[in-house]
Amino acid sequence: MPSLAPGACGGCAQHRTDSLLRLGLNPDKWDILIALAGNPNVGKSTVFNALTGLRQHTGNWPGKTIVRAEGAFAHEGKRLKLVDLPGTYSLQAGSADEEVARDFILFGRPDVTVVVVDATRLERNLNLVLQILDITDRVVVYLNLVDEARRHGIAVDAARLEQRLGVPVVSGVARERVGIDDLLGAAYRVATGQRETRPYRLEELPGNVEGTVAALAGTVAQAFPQVPNARWVALRLLNADDAVVEAVRSGELGQLGDEPPPAEDAPPPAQGVRDHVLETARRLRWELPPDFQDALSERIFAAARSLAAAVRMQGLKRARFDFDRTLDRLLTSRTFGFPLMLAVLAVVFWITIEGANVPSGMLAALLIDQAHPWLHGLAAAAGLPWWLSGFLLDGVYLATAWVVAVMLPPMAIFFPLFTLLEDFGYLPRVAFNLDSLFRAAGAHGKQALTMCMGFGCNAAGVVSTRVIDSPRERLIAIITNNFSLCNGRWPTQILVATIFIGALAPAHLAGAVSAAAVVGIALLGILTMFVVSWLLSRTVLRGEATSFSLELPPYRPPRVLQTLYTSVIDRTLIVLWRAVVFAIPAGAVIWLVSNIEVGGATLAAHGVSWLNPFGLLIGLNGVILLAYIVAIPANEIIIPTVLMLTVLTAGAAGTAPGPGVMFELDSMEATGGLLRAGGWTLLTAVNLMLFSLLHNPCSTTIYTIYKETRSAGWTALSTLLPVAIGVAVCFLVTQVWRLVAA
Amino acid sequence: MVEPGFALAVFAGLCLLLAALLWPERGLLPRWLQFARLSERVRLEDALKHVFACRQEQQACTVDSLAGHLAVPSGEAAALLTRLARMGLLRMEPDGPALTAEGARSAVRIVRIHRLWERYLADRTGVPPAKWHDQAERMEHALSTEQADALDARLGRPAWDPHGDPIPDASGSMPPAPGIGLPAATPGRAVEIVHMEDEPPQIYDALLADGLVLGGRLEIVERSDEGVRVRAGGRDWTIDPVAARNVNVRELGPDAPVEAPTATLRDARPGERVRVVDISRACQGPQRRRLLDLGVVKGAEIVPELVSAAGDPVAYSIQGALVALRSQQAAWIRVDRNGAGARPEVA
Ligand SMILES: Nc1nc2c(ncn2[C@@H]2O[C@H](COP(=O)(O)OP(=O)(O)OP(=O)(O)O)[C@@H](O)[C@H]2O)c(=O)[nH]1
Ligand SMILES: [Mg+2]
Repeated sequence: MPSLAPGACGGCAQHRTDSLLRLGLNPDKWDILIALAGNPNVGKSTVFNALTGLRQHTGNWPGKTIVRAEGAFAHEGKRLKLVDLPGTYSLQAGSADEEVARDFILFGRPDVTVVVVDATRLERNLNLVLQILDITDRVVVYLNLVDEARRHGIAVDAARLEQRLGVPVVSGVARERVGIDDLLGAAYRVATGQRETRPYRLEELPGNVEGTVAALAGTVAQAFPQVPNARWVALRLLNADDAVVEAVRSGELGQLGDEPPPAEDAPPPAQGVRDHVLETARRLRWELPPDFQDALSERIFAAARSLAAAVRMQGLKRARFDFDRTLDRLLTSRTFGFPLMLAVLAVVFWITIEGANVPSGMLAALLIDQAHPWLHGLAAAAGLPWWLSGFLLDGVYLATAWVVAVMLPPMAIFFPLFTLLEDFGYLPRVAFNLDSLFRAAGAHGKQALTMCMGFGCNAAGVVSTRVIDSPRERLIAIITNNFSLCNGRWPTQILVATIFIGALAPAHLAGAVSAAAVVGIALLGILTMFVVSWLLSRTVLRGEATSFSLELPPYRPPRVLQTLYTSVIDRTLIVLWRAVVFAIPAGAVIWLVSNIEVGGATLAAHGVSWLNPFGLLIGLNGVILLAYIVAIPANEIIIPTVLMLTVLTAGAAGTAPGPGVMFELDSMEATGGLLRAGGWTLLTAVNLMLFSLLHNPCSTTIYTIYKETRSAGWTALSTLLPVAIGVAVCFLVTQVWRLVAA
Repeated sequence: MVEPGFALAVFAGLCLLLAALLWPERGLLPRWLQFARLSERVRLEDALKHVFACRQEQQACTVDSLAGHLAVPSGEAAALLTRLARMGLLRMEPDGPALTAEGARSAVRIVRIHRLWERYLADRTGVPPAKWHDQAERMEHALSTEQADALDARLGRPAWDPHGDPIPDASGSMPPAPGIGLPAATPGRAVEIVHMEDEPPQIYDALLADGLVLGGRLEIVERSDEGVRVRAGGRDWTIDPVAARNVNVRELGPDAPVEAPTATLRDARPGERVRVVDISRACQGPQRRRLLDLGVVKGAEIVPELVSAAGDPVAYSIQGALVALRSQQAAWIRVDRNGAGARPEVA
């Protein structure tokens, strides 16, 4: 039995340690390393969660996992490390995520690779399995989604598949944990060498390639006798695969064979021999026909097809009513497609707005009306000086409390709703329907997915643009993601819409009218996104839309409880925590600027009077602009800042506890009254809503954009462009409004 | 408060000013950049490339041919050659200028960047073929050797450019352009197009407009003084002698099938089961590989299932999965509509 320690020989242990470090893993923390690979959206993350007990995000659309996730657990006294790889269709390493998966399987040398396979789409999944079997012997296949396959009238004979593939095959339902224990057992046995595998290999290559590959494979086998599959290496070299070329050049290739482990004293082949291999590859490359890839793919699919035909069991009856197709026909129909999409959007917003009202009020009553005076009493009893208790309680505490009261309820409603839609499989249909618009704008169809993610959080939306593999279109998606109205900006929208626009309608319609106004702003954001994408692809990011393929996954009944749990705990609390972190210093700054006096007036008053002329020109006022500047780190604390500063300048001090204090007025009317006293009109409200949609992204998003683009220029453009658009739009609305009103 | 009418007028004025400054291609800034690009260095590099090309094609290389190629007066062309000679890149021989070893290296470097960039445009962008050459002409002077290497790695070290020319590798070695000229092909034989010269652009555009693509198949009907008569896709036409010289082909075996008029996936009706014949060579690089990975391979069965709300894209059932493709992609996939027949009804 091979040793369990990573690597059985000094030299190769060192090699493996190096490549693991290069891949970003610390190699001393486990005994067995397991990689989880498979096509997109086959349930890899679900298997990962089932094995590790972690809660890695799952979602019913291809490309949900874009960065590798890791988890550890114990089994039979051994420490096991599991790595969840991004889904890939093949290992030909076309796009970045495929490269991650390929490099990991090849150079991370996992002790076993678990390939998750969708039982319904066997041919396509076996295509990947066969490619992985070409690289490594230590493979276990997990035949997932057999419940779904059964619904579609498909059953697979796992025993026969195991016999054909030569590696263990475990069938199951990852969501219900069916087969997970068997999978773990099989993986463990393969990893420890208790179970020998005899993997299926595609030996023969298409005629026009065979000669060239065989010639090179001979050279490779001579130079690296311990490499298990010289033909595969030869093919990769002929493809000028940089990672493999580098492995030959450095001699690392000799260490990659997983069995038998090379003897300790087997040195890598001499420099000259390695160079000869590369030289031969370079020369032979020109002899390959340009379309030899086609022939290779055909060959693999032909094998996959015959395997699938042999193991698929006939005679199962397919459900009479094809739910998926019927629903798809409706959701993508010419007549209903777009209206249904709008309706879903409106309903989600409406539930969020209506549902968040009551808990928001309750939280405000608890944290602000009750806890705040109580804390003040406590501070007075402890004898804190006024400036310290003011700074801590009126500045820091109130800002935090306000952010929690305003943000927690809408997020706790929106994120789960959104996750349910995501889990059900609706998002890819949105992308499908909107694609022609994106194409007309010169953008990528998957931008619809990233746009939807942006409705939750723009930073998350920017990260999700990694599903777009064309760099130009990815930049467009990054720059325009900010036009998706994110969670942090809704409280502003909802409050202003309720006070100024809902109030225009009769009382029983007020809720619906304000919801409509917010939906209108969200739609305006989408429209802006299209226009800006179009402009970008006509100017700085000139180019035509590239092709795109989008897999529409089957509808899957969402798991409501699990969804609630993960979306509340992970997404909501993480976003909230960030908001709180930013609110604390902002609260402190607000308190300071409104309490430090220079030349007879506070800093805040100076700022407001200085910004006021420009504010009025674009239909806002100095208070709002100052609030934006103070709140640059986090959009979500705009409204409290505005209110506080309004109190200060309007001199309506009677309603407020003191200068620099954030507060929640007991009722909407009171807030509205205060704002009107500060000179607000319907025009101000409309402009505030517009400006809150069209301004710079929050600091986290800006930082994320920088991390994703690695370019100060694009980051600056993504930051400044929305502000410029916002100022221009507010200015135009204001001036035209005044022209018409006059 | 500012008078709204006045404010709007000022705003409009500002917008006009910005547009005049930044408008793509016609604005002052883009024009200035364009002008700055046509520097001395660009002309020197173009001259180098010209000498390299005509030496390779064994055509006469003179001051006049250079002047014609660069569209400059012959005095200036002569001055360019003198400067290149002084830089040690070129020497004058009895039959005209020839490159030194150093000069050939520089020229190959430029050719490499040019072809890499064309490959990039073809693979990673939606830029139409007719525009590849012009954009690459500009980039070949702008990219450094390191940038070119990075691009090469990112593209997966391609061997051929989208016109069928070999891309020199980092060490500068490359084989000659493949195939034989179309005028040399035997009448009655089927041939495959392996290279289409992209210069001059007028001829290339005309070839594209005729429906010729790299990897496409033709049947040679006859050769005459008017050109080469070819047949493909169910029609025949004559390619004039000048254009024909810009096309290289490979003769196929005597019984090789010439492309019958085929339908594409775009023609398939919803619910109709079709069988893949192949993917057009107009689709290259990662786009092609992605289609292959999804299972669009010869013989695979495809059924159009859903048309999106706006009519494009369409979702197809491919290898058991539902995959949406834009109509432009569907048009690349050639299918056999008779082989498979209608979908069996659900039990
Ligand atoms: N019915 C059923 N659904 C499942 C099963 N396993 C996973 N799912 C669902 O399939 C969808 C995709 O699961 P994920 O675990 O996110 O898939 P993934 O392979 O990680 O996907 P990517 O990260 O996009 O590659 C989710 O909606 C899961 O709830 C199963 O055994 N049966
Ligand atoms: Mg995943």
